[in-house]
Amino acid sequence: MLSLKRDKKEEEEGGGNPFNNLEKSSVLQEARTFNETPINPRKCGHILTKVLYIINQGESIGTTEATEAFFAMTKLFQSKDPILRRLVYLGIKEMSKIAQDVIIVTSSLMKDMTGKEDQFRGPAIRALCSVTDHSMLQSIERYMKQAIVDKVPGVSSAALVSALHLGKGSQEVIKRWVNEAQEAVNSDNVMVQFHALGLLYYIRKTDKLAVNKLVSKFSKHTLKSPYAYCLLIRIASKLIEEEDAGSDSPMFDFIESCLRHKSEMVIYEAAHAIVQLKNTTAKDLAPAVSVLQLFCSSPKPTLRFAAVRTLNKVAIKHPAAVTACNLDLENLITDVNRSIATLAITTLLKTGNESSVDRLMKQISSFMSEISDEFKIVVVQAIRSLCAKFPRKHNVLMTFLAQMLRDEGGFDYKKEIVDCIIVTIEENPEAKEAGLAHLCEFIEDCEHTVLATKILHLLGKEGPRTPTPSKYIRFIYNRVILENAAVRAAAVSAIAKFGAHCEDLLESCIVLLERCQLDTDDEVRDRATFYVNVLKQQQKALSSAFILNGLQVSVVGLERALHQYTLEPNEAEFDMKSVPLATQPLAEQKVRDVPGEAPSARPAQDKVAASRQDVYQEQLAQVPELANLGTLFKSSQPMEVTESETEYYIQCVKHTFSNYIVFQFDCTNTLNDQLLEKVTVEMEPAEGFEVTKYIACQSLPYNKPGTTYTLVRLPAEPTQVTGTFACTLKFLVKDCDPQTGEPDDEGYDDEYVLEDVEVTVADHVQRVMKPNFAASWEEVGPENELEDTYSLSTMSTIEEAIKNIVQYMGLQPCERSDKVPEGKSSHTLYLGGVFRGGHDALVRAKLALDSSGVTMQLTVRSTDPNVSEVLATAVA
Amino acid sequence: MGFFDSLAQWLGVKKKEVNVLVVGLDNSGKSTIINHFKPPELKNHEIVPTVGFNVEKFKSKALAFTALDMSGQGRYRNLWEQYYKECDGIIFVIDSSDKLRMVVAKDELDLLLQHAELKDKRIPILFFANKMDARESVSSVKCSHLMGLETLRDKPWHICASNALTGDGLHEGVDWLTDQLKDVLEKKSRKK
Repeated sequence: MLSLKRDKKEEEEGGGNPFNNLEKSSVLQEARTFNETPINPRKCGHILTKVLYIINQGESIGTTEATEAFFAMTKLFQSKDPILRRLVYLGIKEMSKIAQDVIIVTSSLMKDMTGKEDQFRGPAIRALCSVTDHSMLQSIERYMKQAIVDKVPGVSSAALVSALHLGKGSQEVIKRWVNEAQEAVNSDNVMVQFHALGLLYYIRKTDKLAVNKLVSKFSKHTLKSPYAYCLLIRIASKLIEEEDAGSDSPMFDFIESCLRHKSEMVIYEAAHAIVQLKNTTAKDLAPAVSVLQLFCSSPKPTLRFAAVRTLNKVAIKHPAAVTACNLDLENLITDVNRSIATLAITTLLKTGNESSVDRLMKQISSFMSEISDEFKIVVVQAIRSLCAKFPRKHNVLMTFLAQMLRDEGGFDYKKEIVDCIIVTIEENPEAKEAGLAHLCEFIEDCEHTVLATKILHLLGKEGPRTPTPSKYIRFIYNRVILENAAVRAAAVSAIAKFGAHCEDLLESCIVLLERCQLDTDDEVRDRATFYVNVLKQQQKALSSAFILNGLQVSVVGLERALHQYTLEPNEAEFDMKSVPLATQPLAEQKVRDVPGEAPSARPAQDKVAASRQDVYQEQLAQVPELANLGTLFKSSQPMEVTESETEYYIQCVKHTFSNYIVFQFDCTNTLNDQLLEKVTVEMEPAEGFEVTKYIACQSLPYNKPGTTYTLVRLPAEPTQVTGTFACTLKFLVKDCDPQTGEPDDEGYDDEYVLEDVEVTVADHVQRVMKPNFAASWEEVGPENELEDTYSLSTMSTIEEAIKNIVQYMGLQPCERSDKVPEGKSSHTLYLGGVFRGGHDALVRAKLALDSSGVTMQLTVRSTDPNVSEVLATAVA
Repeated sequence: MGFFDSLAQWLGVKKKEVNVLVVGLDNSGKSTIINHFKPPELKNHEIVPTVGFNVEKFKSKALAFTALDMSGQGRYRNLWEQYYKECDGIIFVIDSSDKLRMVVAKDELDLLLQHAELKDKRIPILFFANKMDARESVSSVKCSHLMGLETLRDKPWHICASNALTGDGLHEGVDWLTDQLKDVLEKKSRKK
């Protein structure tokens, strides 16, 4: 202690960090002092501290240097000085990864861990475990077992935690320590009990049944340690999640009983666990929420923070359950801790009713400038959900968002606001004008290129359809004058869209675009030239195809196709239709509806990486028999053709090519005493279809997925596209030893009946979003138009009818026409897509609700007469 | 060393400290020998194979010894050399009942003598022909012959038969080492 105190004094005198500007080589040079006899503990301690400091600063030390220093350090074992010895333990732990032959200290550490000095024993165990490798584990096993059940808590804890670390390398040895760990769980010390439970769980982690027993055992006999309780709650909630169990599970009863524990930590953990569970009803939540409510008025800021943060999360899923806490949350708005206040307000916004919005918004704005970006984002997310909930309040909310846009803030924060405004504009047509105006103002002074281009794109899409499109052009053209190349290019595209859509503005747009042809940047000039030429043609079809609706193929697919084309020079021109279409990400809208719910899912979709279809294309190209079928047109979602949890678990994916369908069966063998060979799925084809090839999966061992393919030729008659296929799994069974997987030599044939696979119209159609449906509708023209009226008597609402139509046809709803404004009895649905073979297909369905059900007038337009016929009959 | 230390030494209260390295093949009895010198309350009742090394301290009549008890197992023998530099004396333990591995012990000894750190140093080496109680053990003379000690001329050495379990012969050997080391230390202090 004395030397430490003195060191502190020196530090104060020196001012600042005494270890600043340490030179690695000179420190290692100094480490040679360790070799001197007799040892000067104070001096050596100081040098060792320096060594530890440089290692922890991230300085990399070479193996030879480190080994030399390490061996010099081993000589310090001569000294009995407690401070120096404990520094040596630290040194060993730090250097064990960089020096060689660290095993040299094993016996010395073993002596210390079994010695009399309790102060040395714990650290010695930790150091020992860091130098021990696999082969040596056996020799220290006995001492570790003794240490785990030692009566000194520090020693026992150190041994238990070290065992956990050792377990990462060699589970087998650690498994033998179960009995000792069991004994340690009964310890009176809170930490030992916690660590012992942790080790027990780690050992049994892979065995679900054993974990179940563990929890039920310890939930009955009372543990002393609150930490152990928290761990037990976490294990229990994980079990519930894995089993998909509801509140009737005994695990849930245990967690609920923890709500009445005397330790606050345990109560919070239990409440948190209940709130996080997936299948909970409002009734299950009530006790947890009331506990959190109590915490809201706790004098401890940490508890208040934890409670309000958890409530904030619940509010997204179960706003009603949190309403009970509104009064307590109101009190927290004025909390001195700004983080607590922000979370309280946003929670209130989520649970509150329309009338309280104004008041709360006012309160937020009073301290918006005092909180960090991270919490500002929380506020924005709350506003986003408010916009969806109370469309009529858009005025207040929009103004508030606009104000936030003007304030200082980082990129993430601004992006969140812009996203929020965009979503609101799309959801709520009334808010469109105001929102666009705010965005226009924002891009006047926006330092983020990404956001500026995004907004310009939106303006190009939405602006022309507003009553006064001309006012946006000024904002857009300003960008051309003031911004960098990327933004200028985006602005040029936006102007072109105005020109293509609004005839009265065409002249002025061409003039503006012609000015852009003098730009310094290539991309901007190219775009301007292209658009000017297209616009001057003044043909609706051209503008629709090249300006309003853009490229609809998958970018990755296009790149691959072009690369292929350049590799094999061909007389024929490059055919755009051979490129796979971009698939519409279906999940996108769902994700947007629940902000904050699945933030991890969103970045994954933002990537332009290979889509699922591109992956399938690669995969199929690997199979030689399927390589020359042409371009993959569409892959369906995987569909189960067996019940899950049967002997064999099989999923089917349908791949549509221009003349063939490939059925891909992903099979998993769930029997550990069988090896399947030559697995095929035999199909009874529907009329007109012809099975041409089976590609067997040669071997299907236990629990390793395998794939078999069946190739079917489509009927020559173009209107015959649907059918039902009976499937049977055929294979050769060989019994095998469940342990070793060694199969018998002889096998026998067997079969297994699967569910029928259906080929529907949707399998022949790829969803394509037409951003401007009217333009595309005109572009295709009325040549192959078919019209019919149906009465859908089984549907009781328009929403239901739309859902079914979209599903049958497999087309993409355009212009958000799949959303029906509330309280309307008639609606028009626009669907867009491409039929197999590259024929555009557009559907307009006028729906009306009357007493007998839904009546639909269906109009189909397509570039091919057969396609129109197929689609028109799809619903019937 | 401070004034008080020198004074204490002069008065004979504090003994001079020396480092010795204890080496030899595995299972020759190194740790058992060191264990014998420890005060009774610190004695280990059970000796297990050493992994790496152990530091032990004990006192003879005139000196305080710090003994580095090295592991004799094959895979750790190359680690001995890390400690050659700072040692004042070496205790080499031979299992006199293990005639078969005597040549291995000789090899290790030759390697040790040839090592750059020790080659030109006149440090005393004490040999214990241990396990003299065992039935098939050879005499210390035979032992020194098998180890080829007669050719070792540039360093003072001594061999004595010992039994580490009872302690026979151990004190005799350490007394010899003490005398040798005292000579060396005196010479050193005279030079200063």
